[in-house]
Amino acid sequence: MKRTVFALSVILAMAPSMVWAQGKYVHANNSGYDNLDPHAIFDVGRAASRINFYDGLYRWVDNPPKLIPWLAESHKSSADGKSWTFNLRKGVKFHDGSEMTAADVIYSIERMLATKKGASSLFMPIIDPGTTKAPDKYTVVFALKESSAIFLATVPEILVVNAKLVKQNEKDGDWGAAWLAKNVASTGSYKLKRYDPAIGFVGERFKEHFAGWGPKAFDEIEFRTVLETNTRVQGLMKGDFHGTDGYLPYDQILRLKQAKNVQIFEQESMRVFYFSIHNDRPPLNDVHFRRALAYAFDYNGFINDILKGAVARNPGPNPNNLWGAPKDLQGFTYDLDKAKAELAQVKQPLRPITIGTLAGFSETEQAATLLQNAASKIGVEVKIESAPWQVVQSRMQDRDKNYDMVPLWKSTYYVDPNNWVGELYGSRYYGTRNYSYNKDDELDKWINDALAINDEEKRRDLYEKAARKVTEQAMGIFVYNTKWYGPYAANVGGIRFCPIGSGQDMRWAYFK
Amino acid sequence: MAWRRAVQRFLRDRAATLGTALILLLIVAAVFAPILSPFPSDVADFHTAHRLRPPDSINWLGTDRMGSDLLSRILFGARITIAIAFIAVGTALVVGVPIGLVAGYYGGWASNLLMRVSDIFLAVPQIVLAIAIAQTLGPSIENVILALSITYWPFWTRLVYAETRSLKNEVFVESAIALGASPWRVMVLHILPNIASAIIVRTSIGMGVTILTAAALGFLGLGAPPPAPEWGRMIAESREFLPEAWWYATAPGIAIFMVVMGFNLLGDGLRDILDPRIRRGIGAK
Repeated sequence: MKRTVFALSVILAMAPSMVWAQGKYVHANNSGYDNLDPHAIFDVGRAASRINFYDGLYRWVDNPPKLIPWLAESHKSSADGKSWTFNLRKGVKFHDGSEMTAADVIYSIERMLATKKGASSLFMPIIDPGTTKAPDKYTVVFALKESSAIFLATVPEILVVNAKLVKQNEKDGDWGAAWLAKNVASTGSYKLKRYDPAIGFVGERFKEHFAGWGPKAFDEIEFRTVLETNTRVQGLMKGDFHGTDGYLPYDQILRLKQAKNVQIFEQESMRVFYFSIHNDRPPLNDVHFRRALAYAFDYNGFINDILKGAVARNPGPNPNNLWGAPKDLQGFTYDLDKAKAELAQVKQPLRPITIGTLAGFSETEQAATLLQNAASKIGVEVKIESAPWQVVQSRMQDRDKNYDMVPLWKSTYYVDPNNWVGELYGSRYYGTRNYSYNKDDELDKWINDALAINDEEKRRDLYEKAARKVTEQAMGIFVYNTKWYGPYAANVGGIRFCPIGSGQDMRWAYFK
Repeated sequence: MAWRRAVQRFLRDRAATLGTALILLLIVAAVFAPILSPFPSDVADFHTAHRLRPPDSINWLGTDRMGSDLLSRILFGARITIAIAFIAVGTALVVGVPIGLVAGYYGGWASNLLMRVSDIFLAVPQIVLAIAIAQTLGPSIENVILALSITYWPFWTRLVYAETRSLKNEVFVESAIALGASPWRVMVLHILPNIASAIIVRTSIGMGVTILTAAALGFLGLGAPPPAPEWGRMIAESREFLPEAWWYATAPGIAIFMVVMGFNLLGDGLRDILDPRIRRGIGAK
């Protein structure tokens, strides 16, 4: 009898944790979460912490992406497009129970402009420090230096931090950078429960979130760093994880499609795979040399054989399925005779070219070896160096330390052609989003003009001209636009994929 | 006639013979790779339409992720393996043996200093030290060889030091000194030949360990950069395609296993022949 009572009490004691465990979603991520500061990071690999812990004034959801009011209820802009007024939602609580107000929004944008990291590159050219004002507790006015057609599209990237809490943790004028790298101060959907840069993070549902919750929302979410592709895939098939990244090598997608307990969500996306080329370094500053390399990439072999036709050829910098991508754009084809002819016109001495690939992203290495192989046939030596994304990115941000070429993806951070051709080749983004370090006054003018006007037809024309020139000058080698194949456990529902964030916004998801 | 008896004893040792055969196989593969390879150009050439094909009559060991013939790449990879093993171990020998010899013969503070330096190297796990050095210098075959050489010399130093210390007081050494032989003559002509067997045995086993460590560095992406057909790198590339493309990891894995086993068996066999204490042990049975 005693034994029965004891066993019963053990079961009862475990009951709450068992229920809790059922509400925990575990995601295997292909990148490490080395920093939680929402103003320091800005990439797809670490998007989960930004999206799930923080809120912006507006929020991107669904596909095609829609911009919905979030911390702000509405906005209006002046006729000249320079003044933007946002009316904040009242009664929004931070995780510590205090109310979010205009002062927090102002602190957040000032912090971004001061720390000059993450998404700040979107705002530094158009907002001066100290110019954002709060006429009252629930109104914020952004005074732009110049009209910006993309400002509203980028507003979701102004993630709002709890100003009072962060200020309490500032050290030596660091804007709380050291503290916020390991802590969360926000209104976001989840509260930080556990964080280890080597492992990942666990978030606990913030029940008082202003947007409310569905009846079956996850109680906890865990984003765990699992760098090994095979481990992520095996873990998903075994049930150790409920989801993983949606841009796995297609071989793995085919494998997961065979697994009964896994479902694959397929969505059109906007994520262009291309070779970033350092345009400001000999002999890559010679258009003929760049064209020779562009002719030396086996596009069909890569897309149809290695990726099994799961992606679509994208000949230019803008995704085919977005306005601003010329429909008749003729990209380069694999043609070694043309490559040799272009190379013959190069007057500068040739030298070995270094391609930096992303460790853990085998597609980048396969693309690089494919180019290396063809380049050797036209007499260009290519060396390949592999390093983790954080290392590659920090080198790319330095004009001198940058690799000659890097194969990588340009993901969607906001839905506008400026996200691609503008950021990648506009000199205003040197070192922050532009790693090509190209200098072309005409291109700059088109990109800057397109940013300054709101007429979409005129903007389309400018971006199409820019895309044509970038392609024709082979400022990069553009390969494909990808689809998103989101692998999730069969019992996961409610995934709302949006190209911005790549389906990692977990507040809508649940177990069926 | 002593050498003939030694050879006969060696040949009677099946394990040692097998080890020798495996090493000869490696050398033949490396030397004649261009002739033995069914597709020699596949070392650097790709056929993406034929990627990840299982073993068949055309590609005996299957193809890799770029459609290259695995057998051809493994045969050419033997060259890299031999180059790394021989140069790294050779360098470690050239550095480690003289240091051990001098330190063991002379003694004193300089000797202590040299041995403490070697102790520092031995205190850190060899693979960890090799990874640190290779990572700092950047991925390349040359840097792998350098990293392995830097981490290996203390093993020979420690061995030669101990053997020299024990031989230094032997009668034949004292006699040579009494006859007026110079220290160098004593070390090179009297001590070194008497510790050569220990060095040879250690070298043979060290070769196996070197190959394994080099493969580990290649696996971690610190070895030869693509498209070099380095065995460790080939296994690393294959991880993503396991278990479906089982041949991709299996083929280079077996190659590494066979070569390492070959050197280990050879080392054991040589020790049985060259080490008098072991030989006496066998004879006493």
